[in-house]
Amino acid sequence: MSSSNSNIDGFHWLLDMVQTLDVGLMVLDREYRVMLWNGFMENHSGQPAAYVIGNNLFEQFPDIPKNWFQRKAESVFLLESRAFTTYEQRPYLLRFKNYRPITGTAEFMYQNMTLIPLLSPDGKINHIGVILYDVTDIAVGKQALETANSTLAKLSRTDRLTGLNNRGYWEECLQVEFARFQRTKQLSTLIMFDIDHFKKVNDTYGHQAGDEVIRLTSKTLQSSIRTTDIAGRYGGEEFGVILIDTNAEQCQYLAERLRKKIAALNVGFEQHEIKFTISLGIAEVSTAMGDHAAWINASDQALYQAKHGGRNQSVVFTG
Amino acid sequence: MTTPVLICDDSSFAQNQMARALPSNWDVTLSFAANGAEGLDALRAGKGDILFLDLNMPVLDGYEVLEVIRREVLNTMVIVVSGDIQPEARTRVLALGALDFIKKPIDAVKIGEILDKYGIRGAPGAAQPEIDIKVDALDRVQEIANVAMGRAADLLARLLGAFVKLPVPKVRMIEGSDLHMALSAIESSTAVSAVCQGFIGAGIAGEAMLTFTESSFADIAKLMRHEGEIDDNAELELLMDVSSILIGACLKGIADQLDINFSQGHPVVLGRHVNISELLDHNASRWNRTLAIEIEYRIENRNINCDLMLLFSEDSLTTLHDRTSFLDF
Repeated sequence: MSSSNSNIDGFHWLLDMVQTLDVGLMVLDREYRVMLWNGFMENHSGQPAAYVIGNNLFEQFPDIPKNWFQRKAESVFLLESRAFTTYEQRPYLLRFKNYRPITGTAEFMYQNMTLIPLLSPDGKINHIGVILYDVTDIAVGKQALETANSTLAKLSRTDRLTGLNNRGYWEECLQVEFARFQRTKQLSTLIMFDIDHFKKVNDTYGHQAGDEVIRLTSKTLQSSIRTTDIAGRYGGEEFGVILIDTNAEQCQYLAERLRKKIAALNVGFEQHEIKFTISLGIAEVSTAMGDHAAWINASDQALYQAKHGGRNQSVVFTG
Repeated sequence: MTTPVLICDDSSFAQNQMARALPSNWDVTLSFAANGAEGLDALRAGKGDILFLDLNMPVLDGYEVLEVIRREVLNTMVIVVSGDIQPEARTRVLALGALDFIKKPIDAVKIGEILDKYGIRGAPGAAQPEIDIKVDALDRVQEIANVAMGRAADLLARLLGAFVKLPVPKVRMIEGSDLHMALSAIESSTAVSAVCQGFIGAGIAGEAMLTFTESSFADIAKLMRHEGEIDDNAELELLMDVSSILIGACLKGIADQLDINFSQGHPVVLGRHVNISELLDHNASRWNRTLAIEIEYRIENRNINCDLMLLFSEDSLTTLHDRTSFLDF
């Protein structure tokens, strides 16, 4: 007698635990009728067990992706083997809204799901168990980490003063572009340019004025190039631009436009109006170059000629 | 009259089990062979009027042995004993002339029934002498892996509707650096995807890792009648479906043989939200040397390569070897 009482006691405890567990539990039969619906499912779905038990899951919750779910479930019935899905496949099976106004971090609950075959007394699998785990915090944490990582990656590629690519990253891009040319023979052209008499600007008006000149030059540069072109700050007042699928002639058109725009600028700094110009060297990539450094070198030579020729001009490298 | 009986199996553990499963009062002269080539030599020397033949063996596998027997008209009755329980495997060996097919793990009652069915067991003779085969601990694990692999393959074959070619599972002790290399290879290649899943039960724990070559997805998608484009998400679905089944079935196969139950953790997809180089850093010094089971599944006539590795935690090895040593008796 006492042993049967303690069995009943044990059963009640077990039910209480299932009911209270902070994990979603349901049991489905072969026709996808709901046979068990624990407290977690009741509370998050807002549908009490009495309304759900005995009903077809897909009729009760038409938003469940029926084909997807059935494919997983049928393999559990057929192969008698567990199946797992992660929130990365589908964020959720049932859309449970965020229930924590203070610490909730997502709009809805991300869920991992496990499907398990349940053995009936006749030795057959007539039911499957569905376990839903709330993995919202994990999912949001991972997403935040990814965002942070991509921000970090972007920061490590960017020049602080100008927002252009910094020298390290820009040179990597140039290497990639050079390698692409070797493979595809698709032309690209490189512009190296610098600000004429920049030292004088610094000496006359101070470093802050110099910074402003560099910032404005970068801004003008960025607004003059296409989205596929890659601009970087190569040194103090020296800049580089890679123009993909562009020959030297087309490139000089852009270089001249940029030169004129900059020559027309008036940088207002304190009570001064600063005017300045740039000189540009242009070099088309060629098979004669052994590496990307030779390409930079060619542009630098053209830039040197531009300086020598009186500044405020662009010169195309002729080999 | 004494009947020459040959047991051909690459596992000394399976040889031992097979020999012990023979009726104790059957008058036989037992010989053993560790691969198909040795088996054929023994047959030609008249050592096997009856041959118990494994299918997955190095050098020459069971199918090839059956072909040679037929070609050379060797006089023997072959009963195939294999962990490959795909219905197709049975059909194939029967077509090649095998008398019958017995599923591993070996069951003495079943053997007795088959011997009686074909009237092979003649008059009872003297009791069998004690069989003394040295069984190495890794060899037992190998045979357990073999049976578990067969079960998983059977499910995979049913899921895909194709014949799964089974290899000989590799069971070996690996160093932390070996795993390091395997993971680095996955990290450096965009052509490989991997899923990991932890398991634990009865003092035995570890993690399963299933790796796929990217080129497999097109054929898996076809076999699973996946509709639409195979984008990243579709690949993830296929990866999870196949890994649930292969890892689940393999673990269940092992657990059943050891008479235990494993809890399985939730699977983790490597490379997506899991940074492999971080795993490499964190795991660098946690263990030195541990047991790994490696199984390479291939699908016949399809470009599908998926490799399953089970890695046991260092502290489960004692329990694992204790549990498997019970199986000798």
